[in-house]
Amino acid sequence: MGKLFSNPKLLAIAVFAVAVLFISFLGGAVGAGLGLGFLGGPIPLIQLPAEYITKIGDYELMNTYVMFWLAILVLVVLTFLATRNIKDVPGRWQNLFEMFFEFFINLAESAAGGRKGRMFLPVVTAIFLGVLFSNWLGTLPGVGTIGRIESLEEFAHHKIEAELEDTAGSDIAHDLADHTFHEFFEEHGANEDVQEAITNFFADHGDDKFVVFNGTSGTGTIPFGHGEEFKVRLDQIAERPVNFTAAEYDIFVEQLEHPTFLPETEHEELTQADLDEGRVGLLVPFFRGASTDLNTTLAIAIFAMASVQVWGFMALGFKGYGGKFIFNPITKPIDAFVGMLELIGEFIRVISFTFRLFGNMFAGEILLIAMAFLLPLIGIIPFLGLELFVGMIQAAIFAVLTLIFGSIAIIAHEHGHEDDEDGHGAHSPDGTTPAVAGQEAHN
Amino acid sequence: MEELITQIFEFRGLEPIGAAIAIALGAIGPAIAIGMLASKAMEALGRNPEAADSIRQNMILAIAFAEAIAIYALVVAVIILFV
Repeated sequence: MGKLFSNPKLLAIAVFAVAVLFISFLGGAVGAGLGLGFLGGPIPLIQLPAEYITKIGDYELMNTYVMFWLAILVLVVLTFLATRNIKDVPGRWQNLFEMFFEFFINLAESAAGGRKGRMFLPVVTAIFLGVLFSNWLGTLPGVGTIGRIESLEEFAHHKIEAELEDTAGSDIAHDLADHTFHEFFEEHGANEDVQEAITNFFADHGDDKFVVFNGTSGTGTIPFGHGEEFKVRLDQIAERPVNFTAAEYDIFVEQLEHPTFLPETEHEELTQADLDEGRVGLLVPFFRGASTDLNTTLAIAIFAMASVQVWGFMALGFKGYGGKFIFNPITKPIDAFVGMLELIGEFIRVISFTFRLFGNMFAGEILLIAMAFLLPLIGIIPFLGLELFVGMIQAAIFAVLTLIFGSIAIIAHEHGHEDDEDGHGAHSPDGTTPAVAGQEAHN
Repeated sequence: MEELITQIFEFRGLEPIGAAIAIALGAIGPAIAIGMLASKAMEALGRNPEAADSIRQNMILAIAFAEAIAIYALVVAVIILFV
């Protein structure tokens, strides 16, 4: 401590750090409880499915899809830089990629035994690099915070459309998708499914809070302040139609398009002027980490397990590989049962891969949002570090597990004590038959 | 207090309690498993420091397997709350 106080530069930095910590603590959610929260913002909507950026015709362009293509683009550029002029004494990028390759070549050769392991390399390295970059790009600033504003009316439109698709079939849902609320209610207002959908919409989302954005022109910003004061609840501005007359439908649509506070609701911090000068809606981010979408992780997992099966068939042939799972249940009942379990296990691995990567990344995203909400300026810093570390570990785990499953798949089934497998009794662990091993030894 | 509980129950049923129980019970097993794994790895490292690289790699792999179970519980909790 003496050294700290005697060195003025160090002291200044320490005081600055403590001041920032104190200010962000008072400005965040805890400070909001004390009445202070001036740096806070409304907590964003966290939802499982990915949201779409724009609609091209009927196709919805999802924000995670765009991020995955961005990851691929970054990867292509880096690889181009690394392999432009391959020298004997490598430059920076080439050195980096050689590090990755050395790690995986060593792993592949030790897992699968000798140079045969190199057949795993393309798929495993591709999985590693793809998952790594799609994880890491999710921590960039701007991801999850910059986006378009989905107005209250669009939100209601989508939710009711989704509900109608479940209950009434896709005809009516497509009708709603193509038309505005006015036209739709004119035509289908008396339909009971529609009425029930609206009732359910209020039941599910009546308590949802929407953010009041500053500014009525093209761009809007979330105002600084005590986080929850810039949110408005759905049941403060809209009420459920009771008799579903045409007039009530009109009122409903009007309430969605021009939100005003209902006559007797209490609204502490916001006034009607705030609602008029701003826009009520939700933030739909333009970018969202690609691995936070279940579809991406499922696709990569299916690709990995399909590759494992392909490797198995390539190494052992159709009968050899199939013979590991399918046995004659009459002569070998226990083996048949175990084989069936292993077959089911192959499919379960897809689920396991998917949820391991998805759970880690989605939980990381929620953690970042929660920490940014609690301790605004600096709370997020250690958790960004954690995110980077976890992203790398999960990518490595995905690739290494694919490699291990692949090397298990090319091992032939070892039956040392069976009569009908005389010639095949002694398989070496890397799946080569003794004849081929003998040839290799001669070389 | 009772009115608050009734209000919460009317809107969301027992969802929040379900999600809390899912993640709380689901994280006990993996936590114990990871502790045991790490302790055995430390022991092995102390006995044979030369094999440090190999021990470390295998330990991280095994920890990832154990942690995946906790992640499954978390995903169930998230599905209960948000879907």
